[in-house]
Amino acid sequence: MKVYNKEILYGLYDDEVPLLRAVSAAQKSHLDIWDVFSPFPVHGLDPILGLEESRLHQAGFIFGMTGTATALGFMSWAFLKDWPIIFGNKPYWPLPSFIPVTFELTVLFASVGMVITFYTICGMGPGVKNPTLHDRITDDKFCIAFDVSGASAAEVEKYQSFFAKTGASEVTTKRI
Amino acid sequence: MRHNHFTFEAKQKNVFIGMMVIGLISLIWSYFDNTVPNHTRFWTNFLHNAAFFTGIGFAATFLIAAKITAYSGWHTVFKRLWEAYSLFLLVGLGLMGVVLVGVWGNLHHLYHWADVKAVAGDPILKGKASFLNKYWYTLATFGFVGVWYFFAQKFRKLSIEQDNASLDTRYPIYLTAKKWGAGFMPIAGFTSVAVIWQWLMSLDAHWYSTMYGWYTIASWVVSMIAITILMLIYLKSLGYYPQVSKEHLHDLGKYLFAFSIFWTYLWFSQYMLIWYANVGEETVYFRIRMGEFPILFYGNLVLNFVLPFLILIRNDTKRKTGSLGFIAAIVLFGHWIDFFQMAKIGPYKSALEHHAAAGHGASHGEATHGAVVADPHAATTAPKAAVHTEETAKTGHATPAPADAHVAHEAHEGLTVASDAHATPAKVDVMEPDNYFHYNPDLTPGFAFPGFLEIGTMLGFAGLFLFFVFGQLTKASLVPTNDPYLEETLHHHV
Amino acid sequence: MSARVSPLREPLILGNKNYHQITEDICAPTERAPSRQWIIGFMIAVAGLGLYLFSVIWTVWNGIGSWNLNRTIGWGWDITNFVWWVGIGHAGTLISAILLLLRQKWRTGVNRAAEAMTIFAVICAGQFPIIHMGRVWMAIFIFPYPNTRGPLWPNFNSPLFWDVFAISTYFTVSLLFWYTGLVPDFATVRDRATGWRRKLYDNLAFGWTGSAKHWQRWEALSLVLAGISTPLVLSVHTIVSFDFATSVIPGWHTTIFPPYFVAGAIFSGFAMVQTLMLVVRKLFKLEDYITLQHVESMNKVIVLTGTIVGVAYLTELFIAWYSGYIYEQFAFYNRAMGIYWWSYFGMMLCNVLSPQIFWVKKYRRDLWVTFFMSIFINIGMWFERFVIIATTLARDYLPSSWSYYSPSWVEIGLFVGSLGLFFTCFLIFARIAPVVAIAEIKSILKTMGDQYTGVNALNKKHDDHDLHTEDAHGHH
Repeated sequence: MKVYNKEILYGLYDDEVPLLRAVSAAQKSHLDIWDVFSPFPVHGLDPILGLEESRLHQAGFIFGMTGTATALGFMSWAFLKDWPIIFGNKPYWPLPSFIPVTFELTVLFASVGMVITFYTICGMGPGVKNPTLHDRITDDKFCIAFDVSGASAAEVEKYQSFFAKTGASEVTTKRI
Repeated sequence: MRHNHFTFEAKQKNVFIGMMVIGLISLIWSYFDNTVPNHTRFWTNFLHNAAFFTGIGFAATFLIAAKITAYSGWHTVFKRLWEAYSLFLLVGLGLMGVVLVGVWGNLHHLYHWADVKAVAGDPILKGKASFLNKYWYTLATFGFVGVWYFFAQKFRKLSIEQDNASLDTRYPIYLTAKKWGAGFMPIAGFTSVAVIWQWLMSLDAHWYSTMYGWYTIASWVVSMIAITILMLIYLKSLGYYPQVSKEHLHDLGKYLFAFSIFWTYLWFSQYMLIWYANVGEETVYFRIRMGEFPILFYGNLVLNFVLPFLILIRNDTKRKTGSLGFIAAIVLFGHWIDFFQMAKIGPYKSALEHHAAAGHGASHGEATHGAVVADPHAATTAPKAAVHTEETAKTGHATPAPADAHVAHEAHEGLTVASDAHATPAKVDVMEPDNYFHYNPDLTPGFAFPGFLEIGTMLGFAGLFLFFVFGQLTKASLVPTNDPYLEETLHHHV
Repeated sequence: MSARVSPLREPLILGNKNYHQITEDICAPTERAPSRQWIIGFMIAVAGLGLYLFSVIWTVWNGIGSWNLNRTIGWGWDITNFVWWVGIGHAGTLISAILLLLRQKWRTGVNRAAEAMTIFAVICAGQFPIIHMGRVWMAIFIFPYPNTRGPLWPNFNSPLFWDVFAISTYFTVSLLFWYTGLVPDFATVRDRATGWRRKLYDNLAFGWTGSAKHWQRWEALSLVLAGISTPLVLSVHTIVSFDFATSVIPGWHTTIFPPYFVAGAIFSGFAMVQTLMLVVRKLFKLEDYITLQHVESMNKVIVLTGTIVGVAYLTELFIAWYSGYIYEQFAFYNRAMGIYWWSYFGMMLCNVLSPQIFWVKKYRRDLWVTFFMSIFINIGMWFERFVIIATTLARDYLPSSWSYYSPSWVEIGLFVGSLGLFFTCFLIFARIAPVVAIAEIKSILKTMGDQYTGVNALNKKHDDHDLHTEDAHGHH
């Protein structure tokens, strides 16, 4: 189990609409949100939270091009340099014949590369156990969490009153 | 909505009329350009553009039907554009009617199968005669396109009825439209391929490919999407369609991208299978295009695959009017070129062949074709025969005077491709893999690439198309005011 | 996501659900003891799996001679089964990828099970060419790896070689796509579980927490994977079609094969999804999530793709005549009037004629009609592949080698047994994983739940404007 060694104060909301309002309110009053959790992707959350657009697709493009180059390069090398053979009266370099495998390897490299990147940057993978705040977050609760490790009582009080004002249904502190 | 009524301004009318005048002049001019006999340049230009623009009408009708059937809502805001395109089918019918008159009156030599003398000596064409004939051509042109138009105006009528309907009646109207839409799909599926076989595939009368119909439809659809993008960008610049947001353009951009890829997929599948099987009856189509018309062959791929793929793969290029409009224009021109290579090369070759045959008294071309069929075991030698036929014809044209001797020489060589018809003919065995990419380009303007007359003709037809479409746009509100999907389309987010 | 929904759209989630109820309903099958129907079904499936294993061992032990293939007809039921299973495997990726791109929301109810079906169908498919090799331990020869036979590479010109890459890429990408979609749902099950089940799902969930940034990347990943899976799914059956268009009889081919195979694959895949979903919704009481609306939509896809396939059949037939090429003409004459005429007519009847029944709304929404049609279509699509393979091979260019082929019990055992393998996998999946994508269903609840859209919601709509997710865009 991964350990952050952090004191987290979190509040749960019952619906995505109050969550979005609360996140906006927190941003307006400059409260530093540690993370937001939800049972499904909430649309319109990313811009309010100030999350940059994911660059995964760019990584995917580079992986894909690597696949293209690998396939075309290897087949061309094998048929032009390493062992030139004429099959079925086709040229030594039968480009149309190379297209299918080139396409498949492009897709394969792009997808496998992107999926590995995704799990790596998210800190997830087989056997990984990340600490969770509440069991209902993957069910029907929407959660805003603040890092209160070493925070003063006044700061914690500020967070508490924020949760009270924005209608959080449950507010708890948890060490993870 | 302030700008919901379109005014067709005098300035625009003048521009379109000017374009049509240019088109008319180009057509007349090309009629008298008889470098290739039988007024082939004129007739191919006419057919090329008539088929291209009529097809855009078909693609619009088809997409309207598909969208209704699939409960699509996002496109509703600009669906009046598609309705206007779809009604162009009526004009298209008239245009293709001109070609039809030519078929009946033997006014042109577009179609090898329409030449009674040629068919008589050609077992393959004789075998096809029960489909490739004037009657079927008439049925496909008037009957099938007429049916398409019937559906197009039905969709249009229901759509306008919806505008004026009360809240209670608009749903029943929509449901009626849905029934017509679903009904049109299979009808379109079966008739469109038959029309395409008649109009375009039969230009290369000996050749056949099962993919051809779908490939052509894909080309029409991409062109239609490209025209829609350009039209929306233009109309927005005039202050119309404030409701059409970047989101709509983004989706249209995705369509342009997806259908371009789909077109390429069909192109590749057709090419690859024919290349792979190496059956002469089929390879001749691509051999001529690759070997003699490389500008069209590769230009087609660059304009319709490479450029849209590279430009539209990014998200931001689909959301900026500049880049989207640019690539839409390129793709539109690209598919016009695709139709150019479909419509031009077959008649060009057959006109030269016809001319050569007439010039020598004996019909070399037909005799060769005859031989292919008469001897079923000649399957493997077919590519030689077919390539030879075209070569014979070409030589006959290039050097009319000493043609006889030259042709005989070529015939003797059998499988040779002269790198230059006049200079020392270099012997190249095209079946040798190393010589696969051997070119012997023909550079006749108006056939190997579009000349000024072709561009002029395109402008003329485009002017006619736009004149008609703008006229239709004035006849109904630009945004359908009462469509059940209006709320969705106005709040569309990609 | 467009928040405003046309009143014409029918709800896709029935029963006035809230988020928690969705979790309860969909997780339930993984949490309660297996029902009697499930156990009986599982036993039958395992019996089929046993038959499969027996037939495979028999084939490998005795060699391909235990099949009835002959010199002329070298591909029979084995390759027919291969294509049949690959075809079925296409609907999963189609539903998840293409319908995601086309924003068809009804996919959320069926995508998970369809993707699982894809994986298991491809597992079944991939085995047939390998078994067909006879000496299965030589199967590695199909990959281009540095070897001791001199620098001898596979023939990159061969569509069979392309197929190796197509099928393995398709399997890998589908598996990744499916599993990445499952991770958040495994987390949901994990957070409800206790004891050894908690440990199991802890491992399956890969440490998912539901953080906003993770969701954002997860969505980006899903979209890009959908984007590249779309051409992938087309390419796979395209390459399968190349197997036949270039190899079955050298020189014989028809260029419409690629798109027509893809349409046929979608057709048979949807039929199989129908078969499975009709059972699943009943067995696991998921009628509120896999509604008649879903069934009807899939039936519409079936009638569409069935008709596309019909256009292709007739195109082939017509162009064969039109070509004036006697070999082409004979190939098609032979299909309809040759020794295997019955499989051609079976194909036409099951694939083109019978699906036309779905033009009638009443039948589209009739579960029994749908169920029987789905089986019927799968039989028809099996016939289609049999027609392409056996009929074509039986009458090649050389009349002296013309032959006839009917399967031995081993081949029949392999086919029937592969159904056992498929259903064993599927039934295990349905016990362990949520068969409906929980997170995706939740994300469409506010637009497609029956309290928010459709007839029930129409009057209510104006009153509680607050529930409208337009708030989500911050317009207030």
